[in-house]
Amino acid sequence: MRYITKLFLLASVMLLAASCMKDEPLNAECDIEQVILHTPHVGEVFFNPTDSAKNVLYSASDVVFNVRRHAPLEGVTLSFTITEGATIERITPGTDFTPDEAVEYRVTSQDGQWHRVYKITISPEPVHIVSSELKYDFENFELEPKLKKYYIWHNEQLDGTFGNDWATGNPGFKLSMPSAAPDKYPTVPVDGIDGKALKLTTSDTGPFGAMANKRLAAGNFFLGEFDVSQALGDAMAATRFGIPFALEPVKFTGYYQYKPGTKFQDKNGKEVVGRIDEGSIYAVFYRNHDAEGNPVRLRGDNVLTSPLIVALAKVKDVFDTGGEWKEFSVQFDYREPLDRELLANKGYNLAVVFSSSEAGATFEGAIGSTLLVDKVRLHCQKEE
Amino acid sequence: MKKTIIIALVALLSAAATSAQSIFHKGILADVEYGARLGYNIGGSAPLSMPASIRKLNKFPLTPNIAFGINAEKPLKNNFGLMVGIKFENKGMSTDCTVKGYKMEMVKGGEKLGGVFTGNVVTKATEWMFTFPIQATYHYKNVTFKAGPYVSYLTGREFYGWAYDGYLRVDNPTGEKVILGSGHDERGEYDFAADMRRWHVGFDVGVDWAFSKRFGAYADISCGFHGIHRSGFKTIEQTLVPIYGSIGVTYAFR
Repeated sequence: MRYITKLFLLASVMLLAASCMKDEPLNAECDIEQVILHTPHVGEVFFNPTDSAKNVLYSASDVVFNVRRHAPLEGVTLSFTITEGATIERITPGTDFTPDEAVEYRVTSQDGQWHRVYKITISPEPVHIVSSELKYDFENFELEPKLKKYYIWHNEQLDGTFGNDWATGNPGFKLSMPSAAPDKYPTVPVDGIDGKALKLTTSDTGPFGAMANKRLAAGNFFLGEFDVSQALGDAMAATRFGIPFALEPVKFTGYYQYKPGTKFQDKNGKEVVGRIDEGSIYAVFYRNHDAEGNPVRLRGDNVLTSPLIVALAKVKDVFDTGGEWKEFSVQFDYREPLDRELLANKGYNLAVVFSSSEAGATFEGAIGSTLLVDKVRLHCQKEE
Repeated sequence: MKKTIIIALVALLSAAATSAQSIFHKGILADVEYGARLGYNIGGSAPLSMPASIRKLNKFPLTPNIAFGINAEKPLKNNFGLMVGIKFENKGMSTDCTVKGYKMEMVKGGEKLGGVFTGNVVTKATEWMFTFPIQATYHYKNVTFKAGPYVSYLTGREFYGWAYDGYLRVDNPTGEKVILGSGHDERGEYDFAADMRRWHVGFDVGVDWAFSKRFGAYADISCGFHGIHRSGFKTIEQTLVPIYGSIGVTYAFR
């Protein structure tokens, strides 16, 4: 038996030798995870002291600090949290910051093989808003520039430049259906009442979606951010609703068409007989800090239920419109009086949300449900 | 299926044993010795050189790698001989590894999602096969040394697993980050059974030790000449070569 034991030992040693662990490879990633803006004039620069720290989405390459209109920018420095072992350098010459001029930084990975370029902008609040009506016509869209797989939309800012306030779940859909053409995504532009409108379609997420038990993706469109890193795991955390908003919203109007898909399915893909899908159109106005002063952004699972919500304007009964445009007009229902000082200091966020399936956040709905939206207006109280 | 094959083999063996004297020992077969063996394969289908992206082997549970076969040996000159056989065996494995920056791809229904993954990866493989070894033998006292090539034909193929508790960077380390959890709904599953080879060719060395007239033990090491997947299959960065040790008991029909 000794021979056999020896031989078997030899075999094991050979297998182990073949499988010897090598030294740990250096990190290949090169992300900015957080930027902190340091200034000797915190009160004059920021609306909220917590605005000085910006968490950066892994998918983002632009970081914008919204600061007060006459914020003094001398003495401003930035500190970064980047991937372990990576290095960061400023590419834009100089060390100072000019309002609304992007400063470029390059992050190089620890292994030196990869880099990313980020643009960081300090953007003072533009001249005070005089218009009391904000128009959302969804005319400014393009294919996402890096991969050109899906559409993204831009909001027109008061100075005529474009911002990235609108988000969709399209980046998440790309993970499940990488082969889909741009016009097969859940959120696409389409001919509208005049110019373009939004078309949101509850879409089948295919075999990958089924694998992750997220079998459908409602077409969605909202003010906020979509954190695609969470799309497969904690999907409720992926939709981050709302942007700081310094006007008092009063009324929410616009036009929509809705056609529910034929077969309503639950999270497991089972048909729910008799249930007909509904669309979802609402605007939420909420305090963007909790009682402890931590910044808050509403998520998929509390956007309509959070105690921080101050006012809600929700369109009731988004049912089949028979292929016609239907006008909607809803008042913001305030639950508490508005704090004017908080408002002036951007202490409120506004989320405007459209979805082709009301329960789409929990992956329930009817594949093929379609919501078209156009000429949306947000009526705000005129400044006194 | 597997049970049926094993039963058929046992039946064949019994038949062989009872009629061994008559049919199998005539003419050129007059001095041929017949035997059967039952053993267990331990090993895995692994890269010949472990890539740096594989950091740690967390778990390596045993899989039902039974090997069962019959063989015939024709003695030649000077203690040498030639042994042929047929073996039904499983070269399965199950691993749980921690990886860093590991290139991977998930493919489902024509959709591909790939990139570099950092986290944990479970791999499970099953390879039931008929193996036909041809070996030169050399006898020294009651020990037989064996070496020679083999050909295997796979009847049962599985190769699947999942990436969990980590994150994928889509396409490359600067791509979108996708966090994968550990739950069934939150992990990334893959299945590459369809890309596995049907035929394996490899080399086998070993020893038999007869400790009684009929019974003995054996220990072998076998290594494939190629990976377990088709040569065009590039989804898994490294070629996974089947390397298995086998131990078991032998029985001689005398």
